[in-house]
Amino acid sequence: MPNCDQIQNAGLMNRRNFIYQVASGAGSLALTSMLQPQSALAGTLSAKLPHHAPKAKSCIFLFMEGGPSHIDTFDPKPKLEDFHLKEFFREGDEFSSLESGRRYYIQSPFKFRRVGKSGVQMCEHFRHLADCADDICFYRGAYGESVNHPTANFHVSTGNKFGGDPALGAWVSYGLGTKNENLPAFVVLPDLAIPQGGPGNWGNGFMPPIYQGTTFRATGAPILDLNPPQGVTLEIQRSNLNLLAELNRQHQVYHPEHEALEARIESYELAFRMQAEIPGVVDLDNESQATRDMYGIGEPDTDNFGRRCLLARRLVERGVRFVQLYSSGWDSHDYIESAHSKRMRAVDKPIAALLKDLKRTGLLDETLVIWTGEFGRTPDNGIREFGKAYGRDHNSGAMPMWFAGPGVRKGEVIGATDEMGGKAVEAAHPIKDIHTTILHLMGLKDADLTYFNEGRFKQISQTGDAKLIREILT
Amino acid sequence: MMQEISAKRRKCLPLVLGLGFAMATHCLSFASEAAVEPDSAESEGLFAEEAWPLLQAKCMECHSTDEPESSFDMSSLESLMNGGELSSKAAIQTLVPGDPESSMLYQVVLRTSEPEMPPAKRNALSDEQVEVIRKWIETGAAWPETLPDVAAADALPLDKFAVTVSQGPDGPRWNLTEDDTWALRPPKRYAVPSEGIDQDSVKTAIDAFLFTELNKKDLAAAPAAKRLALIRRATYDLTGLPPTPEEVEAFVDDTLGEDEAFDALLERLLASQRYGERWGRHWLDVARYADTDGYANDSERPNAWRYRDYVIRSFNDDKSYDDFIVEQVAGDELAPNDPEMKVAAGFLRMGPWELTGMSVESVVRQLWLDDVTHNTGVSFLALSLRCARCHDHKFDPLPTKDYYRFQANFTTTRFVTPEAKYLPDENVSHIPELLAYIEKKIAYNKKSFDARYEAFRQGRTKYNKSQDPFVEAKDGEEEKIVFIDEENTDIAPDAELKAYAKRRKILLAELPGYEPLAYSVTSAPLEDDDVAPAETFILAGGSLDAKGERVYPGVLSMVHGSDDSEAPSAWNTISPDARGRRLALANWLASPSNPLTARVMVNRIWQWHFGMGIVKTSNNFGKMGSRPTHPELLDWMAQYFVEHRWSVKEIHRLIMRSAAYRRSSSAADVAAVELQDPNNELLSYFPPRRLMSEELRDSALSIAGVLNLEMGGLPTFPDLNEDVAHQPRKIMGQLASAYRPSPEREQRRRRTVYTHYQRNMAHPIQEVFDGAPMDIACEARRESIVTPQVFNLFNGQFSYDMALEMAANLEAQFPKRKGQIERAFRLTFGRPPSPSEMKTCLAHVQKMSKHHNTVTPEPPKTRERLRRSFIHEFGGKTLVNEDWDWEGFEFNLHPSEVEAHTRGLAELCLVLINSNEFIYIY
Repeated sequence: MPNCDQIQNAGLMNRRNFIYQVASGAGSLALTSMLQPQSALAGTLSAKLPHHAPKAKSCIFLFMEGGPSHIDTFDPKPKLEDFHLKEFFREGDEFSSLESGRRYYIQSPFKFRRVGKSGVQMCEHFRHLADCADDICFYRGAYGESVNHPTANFHVSTGNKFGGDPALGAWVSYGLGTKNENLPAFVVLPDLAIPQGGPGNWGNGFMPPIYQGTTFRATGAPILDLNPPQGVTLEIQRSNLNLLAELNRQHQVYHPEHEALEARIESYELAFRMQAEIPGVVDLDNESQATRDMYGIGEPDTDNFGRRCLLARRLVERGVRFVQLYSSGWDSHDYIESAHSKRMRAVDKPIAALLKDLKRTGLLDETLVIWTGEFGRTPDNGIREFGKAYGRDHNSGAMPMWFAGPGVRKGEVIGATDEMGGKAVEAAHPIKDIHTTILHLMGLKDADLTYFNEGRFKQISQTGDAKLIREILT
Repeated sequence: MMQEISAKRRKCLPLVLGLGFAMATHCLSFASEAAVEPDSAESEGLFAEEAWPLLQAKCMECHSTDEPESSFDMSSLESLMNGGELSSKAAIQTLVPGDPESSMLYQVVLRTSEPEMPPAKRNALSDEQVEVIRKWIETGAAWPETLPDVAAADALPLDKFAVTVSQGPDGPRWNLTEDDTWALRPPKRYAVPSEGIDQDSVKTAIDAFLFTELNKKDLAAAPAAKRLALIRRATYDLTGLPPTPEEVEAFVDDTLGEDEAFDALLERLLASQRYGERWGRHWLDVARYADTDGYANDSERPNAWRYRDYVIRSFNDDKSYDDFIVEQVAGDELAPNDPEMKVAAGFLRMGPWELTGMSVESVVRQLWLDDVTHNTGVSFLALSLRCARCHDHKFDPLPTKDYYRFQANFTTTRFVTPEAKYLPDENVSHIPELLAYIEKKIAYNKKSFDARYEAFRQGRTKYNKSQDPFVEAKDGEEEKIVFIDEENTDIAPDAELKAYAKRRKILLAELPGYEPLAYSVTSAPLEDDDVAPAETFILAGGSLDAKGERVYPGVLSMVHGSDDSEAPSAWNTISPDARGRRLALANWLASPSNPLTARVMVNRIWQWHFGMGIVKTSNNFGKMGSRPTHPELLDWMAQYFVEHRWSVKEIHRLIMRSAAYRRSSSAADVAAVELQDPNNELLSYFPPRRLMSEELRDSALSIAGVLNLEMGGLPTFPDLNEDVAHQPRKIMGQLASAYRPSPEREQRRRRTVYTHYQRNMAHPIQEVFDGAPMDIACEARRESIVTPQVFNLFNGQFSYDMALEMAANLEAQFPKRKGQIERAFRLTFGRPPSPSEMKTCLAHVQKMSKHHNTVTPEPPKTRERLRRSFIHEFGGKTLVNEDWDWEGFEFNLHPSEVEAHTRGLAELCLVLINSNEFIYIY
């Protein structure tokens, strides 16, 4: 049996460990890159150079899960009033059962108003967001491919309808690394329920798991098992950690060339530090009452989403690259008037606060904010209950979307859908162009942001033929 | 000097550099490159495809001869970086991997300053070519040990090396070298090498092949591992569990000679039922096994577990691998009345799959056809076929036509759930209690629905579909009031009613899981309908809307001897009859004539023993895959496999009896290895590895003394972090049922392979410790090191539970502290503590016990019925979902039930479960 008494940290003296010590110290990145070829940095979250000068350093992706209606939010279709409850006929034969049966045109139950200096049109229920109209680029040209929730979710989140690929946030983390080594680079703030398709919507796909989105829960410990079970004190933990470190060091002497051992020892120390720091990051009590009020925290309609919007700002402020924030319940097949107006009210005040807050702190100059869902909705629908219970079905031909932040136009409407709102016809671009444009604004090129897997270089556009949406760029 | 070393050692450098939120590493020797070092793989790809041919064409005429210009030789990375005379003349280095701007090589081809290269302007590199050089340097300037033979291929007449496939003179052609297509040609018969090999050091033929390569590099092999390391290594390797202290002692003290003692150990382990659980799991990684469907509803997949148990049984029985293939690809055609064969064919449906009212059936059907085509290729042939769905394969000689001919083998296949009697070996003992539970849920659901219905209909008029002018009434539906009938739930104008109805539908769909049915396929014609075989067309761009030429079933003509247009044979020809296509395909796969099948499987077995295959990309033997590090050995082993009735256990014996397998995990000469073989491809020492996620959980249960070794049956539901278990997950029109741990404590402590694998909700321990991806065939498990692992293992309830159980068991068995600590070490590490470790641990336990004396743990909270809310799409209401109660639930041992000294000892156990010595195997 090994005699552990002879151990005097001998393992630390060899050159390999010297590199560890240098590389793991704070502020050692410059030295690290001198010692290592860049390839050695892959698989870490170390900050990496972008492909070109970025406009945005961070991104907040506001995902309205369920499929928000463009026709009832930012893309009014007055023509539908003339055809309200008139029967509509589809052509072609490959429809899902969802799309079959008798169908009727449906007008929007909402009024629209012109807002901001630019006079863009917004649904009446966006009362607060109206103040931000001149900071927003409304884009009506986006379209998807799938009318099925999970596949459309996967498509918008990962670029691959069938899932299994890294999420946009994972690509960004892979391309840029993190600005704050004590926080994940890619954070997900789900609604009460996680969306259809589950964690595949923020997965690392074929990349190492460090690029996976980390979900922060709104209540309790934000990260899974960030804290030990109730009753375990920090002091006891530290004491256990010390014993663990000692046993690990003794063991390491017999395997000095086994590098994973050192990394694992370090990971325990890092985790311990994070355990102490992260609760402070997510503690919204550190914000003033005025700020909390602005986000609608404490009001029943807006509390949930407001908290997460405020948390998103705090995360971006601390260097998180990509925040994916969900609002669910936008799948209004029936009773769209009550369903959609509730959803709009729930997000209106928090999002307006987020934009104003980012602007106030100057963060809007380096943070790209995107608002969209997995698809838009149809101008037509099946109707039940004598014409009262109407809503809209899924529509991949058009979807509502807006951008705010650096590098995009402000107070403008770009692109257009057809007269009825069935599909995007002007400045129309598929999902992959949206991803490529977001990457572009963050200093990354789709063509260069590749990952070798299953015998080929993969990229978020899948096919490498995506185009920038130049129409929305400044 | 530093620069040079770091470049050479590039592949083995620690990846833990930034120490960010999460850290990744891989150790000196294992994990496939493609999986761990993305840029390196990218750089290698660039090198092979573009940079190397370019350097050869543009530079090496002058810079690679015996007397290179400026004594600057570019034929190896070493000499290229050394720089020859340039090293003293030039201001910057010739090549700085990762930094093109500082690399002379990039500057000279850029031609913006002196010198400009190549000297003649007409030879200057195009912008694209300059970019290739820049990118190659930037991504790390990879330089594989085996240089691609691209230049040779280019220099020769096209048809000398071009591989032409069955599409005739005008068909697609690939300009490929022999090296690119090595795997498509039959294995050669090699003699076991003997020249220059010390016969005493050869235990099995494998050693002779390995020593040949080690000798070339003048690398010494590490000495034999100590018996303790060896029994731990072999036991984990074959059973996925730690050896017991008694087993260790018996082996270490065994008076038999090294070989005899080890042979006896191997035979014991190979005969253990634990073996199939461990090796079956490896295959389930490839097959993408899960107990749910994935996508929107992630519905339960009734009876999938019977496939899992079939796989475990097959490994335990050492089923011939050729039979194993045929049964999985065509079991139903081979023996239509054999229940086990119906279960085996479930392999074809193992991927994620779902058909809902929102999907177009023909599209979903085509998705499955593409899935099964690709994954049959990946699983058995290590050929990635998917690319050829839309266009001729870019790298491998696979025309789109062949892709669809291959697919035609499946177009007459339908999904079925036939009766299949339970086998005597199948564990059906838990069906009654699980069935009773689900029936209870159904009854509760009905009660809730009825109550809501009563409340809802108060003061409302009945809605009658037939009177609604907007609705197209279906035949016979006029008078039907549809609230309760699950067939027509969409009319219920109330979110709550809809949600209850949806829940009922989900629950009813789970009922077949308690009947003797098989999750299977058939190619038998529909009973009442003598349908013609489904036709298969080439789909342009993979789209159903663009049907092209009609094709008939076939095999892959690029594989040696398989071109039925040139030399048809019974082996390579598939009849277009509706039935029997898959059986013919299976026989083509499971044949000694197929050059890939045996190689692919022995390579997988090798990888599962050594952490890295002879071909590192075990799912890709094509042009873009790695080349074998020991091609002769691979071919020799493939033939050995076939000649020993495709017996997997024979390959275990061949590998594990070798000196290579039994070497120490410390290199004999670390410096020499770093220089000559930084990835340990030559296996001069045994590569250490981390426990797989399943092994980690099983080991914790095992050393805690609570592992339940019951085999097989319906998936069990272990304890799960409640935040995850109760996290509402959206499905169509409802929440997914909450995760409910098995109420019987024993059932929560089964081996991980028997737990419920859920696609959209992996267990945290699987997720953070690199479990199988489930949706794609797992090539190799990663060994990442990330901080969420610490949160999981150091803070998680499971670790605390195991530590407490372990402490209680230790105290029950050993009265004295010292005895308890010694046993804890033996259980965890297989060895007793050193005197200093004993001293430290005693002091720690004492200190912790003292602390625990001062605190009284709160008793466990009483549990209430689980309530979770979500926003329903119908009207946007927030609904509360009542899920399940804790009735009859057997809780784990709780700190409040034990004395302070037990809790004190548990702190030590927690530390041991987290220690490196426990989690790594040497």
